[in-house]
Amino acid sequence: MKRRDYIIFAVLLGLAIAYPWINPPRYLLASVLLMFCYATVVSQWNLVFGLAGIFSLGQVAIFASGSYITAILGRYLEWSLWYTFPVAGVGGVFFSLLIGLACLRLRGIYVALLTLAVSQMMFILIQTDAMCSALNKKVNPATCVSFTGGAQGLGDFGSFGWRDVFGGRNWIIGDYYTMLVLLVIALIFTFIVTNSRIGLAFMALRDNEELARSRGISQFKYQLLVFAMSAFLTAVAGSFYAAHFGSVGTDLMGFALLLFLISMLVVGGIGRPWGPLLGAFLLMAADEVFKEASDWRNVGLGIVVLIFMVFLPEGLAGALDKLWNRGIQLVTGRLQSGGTRADGE
Amino acid sequence: MDFFVQIIVSGLTFGSMYALAAVGLALVWGAFNMLNMSHGIIMTLGAYFALLWAELLGWPLILAAPFSLVCGGLVGAIVYFLSAHWMIKQKNFEVTIIIATFGLGMAIESGLLKFLREMFRTAPYSQPLSLGAKSFLIFDVPVSYQRLVIWTAAFVLITIVGIFLRRTSVGRAIRATAQDRNAARLMGVPVRRVYVLVLAIASGLAAVSGIMLSSFKDVHPLMGGDPMLKAFIVIVLAGLGNITGALYAALLVGLVEASVKVLLADKYGFTAILILVILALIWKPSGIFGRATVARQ
Repeated sequence: MKRRDYIIFAVLLGLAIAYPWINPPRYLLASVLLMFCYATVVSQWNLVFGLAGIFSLGQVAIFASGSYITAILGRYLEWSLWYTFPVAGVGGVFFSLLIGLACLRLRGIYVALLTLAVSQMMFILIQTDAMCSALNKKVNPATCVSFTGGAQGLGDFGSFGWRDVFGGRNWIIGDYYTMLVLLVIALIFTFIVTNSRIGLAFMALRDNEELARSRGISQFKYQLLVFAMSAFLTAVAGSFYAAHFGSVGTDLMGFALLLFLISMLVVGGIGRPWGPLLGAFLLMAADEVFKEASDWRNVGLGIVVLIFMVFLPEGLAGALDKLWNRGIQLVTGRLQSGGTRADGE
Repeated sequence: MDFFVQIIVSGLTFGSMYALAAVGLALVWGAFNMLNMSHGIIMTLGAYFALLWAELLGWPLILAAPFSLVCGGLVGAIVYFLSAHWMIKQKNFEVTIIIATFGLGMAIESGLLKFLREMFRTAPYSQPLSLGAKSFLIFDVPVSYQRLVIWTAAFVLITIVGIFLRRTSVGRAIRATAQDRNAARLMGVPVRRVYVLVLAIASGLAAVSGIMLSSFKDVHPLMGGDPMLKAFIVIVLAGLGNITGALYAALLVGLVEASVKVLLADKYGFTAILILVILALIWKPSGIFGRATVARQ
């Protein structure tokens, strides 16, 4: 991070805070809000994938686990959702630790396949869960669904509660700022982690595992640490998602969302500090564009991902960084040593 | 006894379908470390090619499978030139190619869904190559002729691939590339051509596997996703790039899935093999037939 980055951060934050005051259409506000949510998840994924170099696809499963924990606690125990958020976060951390433990001896591609298997298993277990649960009878005796809601999903578990505070029409602004706060926390968190000794350890293990280990960096400790650290806010983002939409379903674990989120990571730039934000913005924008032709949405997204992987494997943030460096070179007339990639290379 | 026969019969059937898909995946990984996430959609396309040939064009049924094999191979080559060809020099090729083919597969799949919705209105079709329910008995368990055909086809195709790899000069070039890409290039092996060829072979096999699969379920644009995941599980279980291992692992996965389906319930089949692979990976990180060296980088 340089002064440039602080300025960008301040400007973006100002824009985000001001945005609801220009009276944007409601659906746009909802899209931006959703973008904050996804950007939070992707920024945490970036810690695992970009910073620590572990190709885990389990982030979506953790996101889903967070929203399911919130939905279940809110529905069956009738908790206020605000109490469920920390519980969901901690639950996500435990879940992620389990995944991290299972992946401990695996490298590269094997991690991706194992984590994909875990999230797929979660999907199938919930999707095929059709046993009528006694708990659900209490909530709604007429339509009995299973404990996890099965293929139908779960609803009726409450919301952030901004409707009572801001009145009937403006509750979405409450949701918007809540999500923004989460995103800001996530960005600050990733910034702190990236620039701490822990972040250095992640990068050392990523770049040269043998050397890092021979210098006394415990792979066991740091791999579990990165899985745990990245899970908390991911799971909380999941529960915020549930609280905003008022329902959860198995599409949270489906391929479509996985592809969408990984596209954000890739298009933005893996391992780049601004990557997740850029990627989330671009893909949500692309999504808006393709929404006009709803059937072509996934075709378009798939092709965008393919093109980025073929031509810009370092993502947009990587390309912009190169441009920036070249610009500086032109202005100052001297060669900058190295890149401005904040996580080093 | 009935249970037992039932498990063996259905396990071998699933096993041979997975084997056809997995051997191709293993071959491609072995040759140039590419995991093709569009493998599943190629399986689906294979089923559609057969359908197109037999149903819409009305040409002789017996040639539908070879037609689909060839078309599948062509699609494989197209996938290569759309993705891997440009990316093979990238630093993180193993990772980026997964995401790229994932995107490509998604695009084809959604395109196919859209196209079919406009063309045919009704999406699911039954496979014309299916022999229906005609069957014979083994220990009171009905075994359909369909299964016999599947076993034979899988056995013959895999044997052909095996002989091709062992006995021909092109096969030797493929194996040399798999062993050491640079050494092979220095010896004059045109590695790029090997990559295309390998991907084409793998996709052809996947297409046939797709036909087999569609003889049990309807033909549907999304039908390839689930078996592709299982094929991935198979090659991970065997140790990536290990072709013979993939064959055994496919049968193992088929048998485990079948026994869980018969003894417990249908819906736990996939969960059971997922648990199997998770445990196997924790126990032996480079696969049960993998070399003793701990996990590749």
